[in-house]
Amino acid sequence: MTDTAILERMEKRLAKRHAAERRFRLMGLAAIVLSLGFLALLLVIMLKNGLGGIDWNFLTSSDSTEPANAGVWGALKGSLWTMLVTLLLSFPLGVLAAVYLEEFAPRNRWIEIVEVSINNLAAVPSIIFGLLGLAVFINTMNLPRSSPLVGGLTLALMTMPVIVIAARNAIKAVPPSIRDAALAIGASPVQTVFQHVVPLALPGIMTGTIIGMARALGETAPLLMIGMRAFVATPPDGITAPSSVLPMQIFLWSDEIDTGFVQNTSAAIIVLLVFLLVMNGVAIYLRNKFEVNW
Amino acid sequence: MTQLIVLSALVALALLGWFAGRGKARLFEKDKISTWSRPEYHAAHLALWIAIPALIGWFVWSAIAPGLVDAALMALPIAQQLPASDFERASLLAEAHALASNPDAGSFYPLAQKLAEPIRELRARYDLIGGAIVAILAFAGGAWGFSRLRADFPARTQVERAVMLLLLLASLVAILTTFGIVASLVYETGLFFHKVSPVDFLTGTHWSPGTAVGDDIGDNFGAIPLFWGTLYIGAVIAMIVAIPLGLMSAIYLTQYATPRARRWIKPMLEILAGVPTVVYGYFAALTVAPFIRDLAASLGRDNPSTESALAAGLVMGVMIIPFVSSMADDSIAAVPKAMGDGSLAMGATKSETIKRVLIPAALPGIVAGVMLAVSRAIGETMIVVMAAGAAANLTLDPLDSMTTVTFQIVQLLTGDQEFDSPKTLSAFALGLILFIVTLVLNIVALRVVKRFREAYD
Repeated sequence: MTDTAILERMEKRLAKRHAAERRFRLMGLAAIVLSLGFLALLLVIMLKNGLGGIDWNFLTSSDSTEPANAGVWGALKGSLWTMLVTLLLSFPLGVLAAVYLEEFAPRNRWIEIVEVSINNLAAVPSIIFGLLGLAVFINTMNLPRSSPLVGGLTLALMTMPVIVIAARNAIKAVPPSIRDAALAIGASPVQTVFQHVVPLALPGIMTGTIIGMARALGETAPLLMIGMRAFVATPPDGITAPSSVLPMQIFLWSDEIDTGFVQNTSAAIIVLLVFLLVMNGVAIYLRNKFEVNW
Repeated sequence: MTQLIVLSALVALALLGWFAGRGKARLFEKDKISTWSRPEYHAAHLALWIAIPALIGWFVWSAIAPGLVDAALMALPIAQQLPASDFERASLLAEAHALASNPDAGSFYPLAQKLAEPIRELRARYDLIGGAIVAILAFAGGAWGFSRLRADFPARTQVERAVMLLLLLASLVAILTTFGIVASLVYETGLFFHKVSPVDFLTGTHWSPGTAVGDDIGDNFGAIPLFWGTLYIGAVIAMIVAIPLGLMSAIYLTQYATPRARRWIKPMLEILAGVPTVVYGYFAALTVAPFIRDLAASLGRDNPSTESALAAGLVMGVMIIPFVSSMADDSIAAVPKAMGDGSLAMGATKSETIKRVLIPAALPGIVAGVMLAVSRAIGETMIVVMAAGAAANLTLDPLDSMTTVTFQIVQLLTGDQEFDSPKTLSAFALGLILFIVTLVLNIVALRVVKRFREAYD
């Protein structure tokens, strides 16, 4: 073979390899475009179907058999009550558990079991929490069915591990020098943690809490188990009144045969997504504003 | 109502104790006596002594009071009229109790109306006794706490001990939840297996719990079609969508994208995981499923169903993309830079380096990510409830309707039901299996990740 022939073959081979390189790169780009395109399609379809349905009447009235009269206020109020119960339970419990595990817990078998069970609870399917709520809160403790109390308790058990994990990471990020300084001027370990470490970790804890709450707000499956799918035409005025929640309202309307409910369903989805967007926006803002790089 | 009054009274008393304690402790400082603890700790110590024994007393009393009310009711002359049969008696008493709490409640037994009034009186009497016990405990605790309030008393140590106990209790909630899940699932599953043999349940291929009556009910509880549907939708169709898209997204983001683009695209991909599943379910039912049905019709299928495994699986796959991509992202980033640089230095192109060096090195992490994604997909409920269908078909055809474990749990437990029928109990058996499978997937995945990290650290 002559030198030119070898050179030619080499160049051909190189061109082929570079073409493969470009193809691979394009495939990566295509994967991202496809994923984000799906998200965009979903949002556009919901906006197209639902934007016309959002007016003052829709935001202030409750469920109705008549699509034109139906609104989200009743479900929204149910969601707010449920979230209130969830927050009041899961936030203190989650933060206290995280403080204990991160700052005080001795390293032994028991604590290991606690840690493993927290990590596993964060990955348990949400519907299992619904089964737990049904078996324990409704059938054993006889708490009122379909109420924000039971819904909030169930979602709190689900949200707590998320808060514990976020709070532990935030507490871990506080440098030991802060603790040493406080201890050196005579603070007790408990004072050190509650007066110095936790306040410094608070932005991270808040971010994790908001993200956990946003997840709980969008959750439907466990609430189906505890019967929060009742037709509720009057907004609930307490945590023991029968109520629905926003995602459940979406689910119930999506089942309606009347085509007028298509607009309602999409409009309710827009309302829910706006809430989630605001919550996540606040979480990102908090993280960017208060995060300290030690 | 009674609870609320007692609790707010206790809070008020504890606050009062707090101020009283702080006031007295401040006197020490004023008299220039050196104290062991700050006044706030003396105050908290006193408030705890007022609140905690009283609270414990109230919980104990709330637990035993209903029994005392019933016992006292049986001693009344009117109780002689109660029917002899246990079942009738129990339902009559339950009705009378409901009437006593809420006079507008409907009643079936005339005797219940008559019993409601004595029950109300008895309850009021026992509430009063309970209130008195709480008050005595609060004052006794307060007096004890106050008597110990001296300058050399280590109040801070005591309060901090109580705080530690509180912290410990909070972290035990997680164990309690796990225990509660396991106990309730196992208990109900045990009841179910009394009626239907586990062998029938785990190996049967016919699922129609709605028609299960008589002796051969086991034949209607064959869960194989559900397991098949769950795996086919969650572990096959969804993963065919999610693995290539998620993996390629992660490769592009870590290897090709500029840091600026990465900062924007990564959070946008994460939004896919943040969209509530009910929204995906609605999207699947409204847009994707009709599209797939039309596609099936144009391919010559007669009468294709609107509810197809393909529609549910596709949408689920999209939902899972961020899970796969962020796990793949982490594992590729964890591969030591020297390995990739070595390959590039030998003249390999970037894509060759990725395919031959980075991916094989990151494979354990990627596999773990896929396992987590599968466990997420098979536990997913709303998408399949809204798009997959109820027919328990054992088929390979993705255009057919299929049902899943989660769908059936929802189906079995919503609507009117009695709680101990095999139909509702089977939902807990399905839940137990779902719990075990997701748990195993998660534990194995976390092990793999841990070992993988250790290998490169």
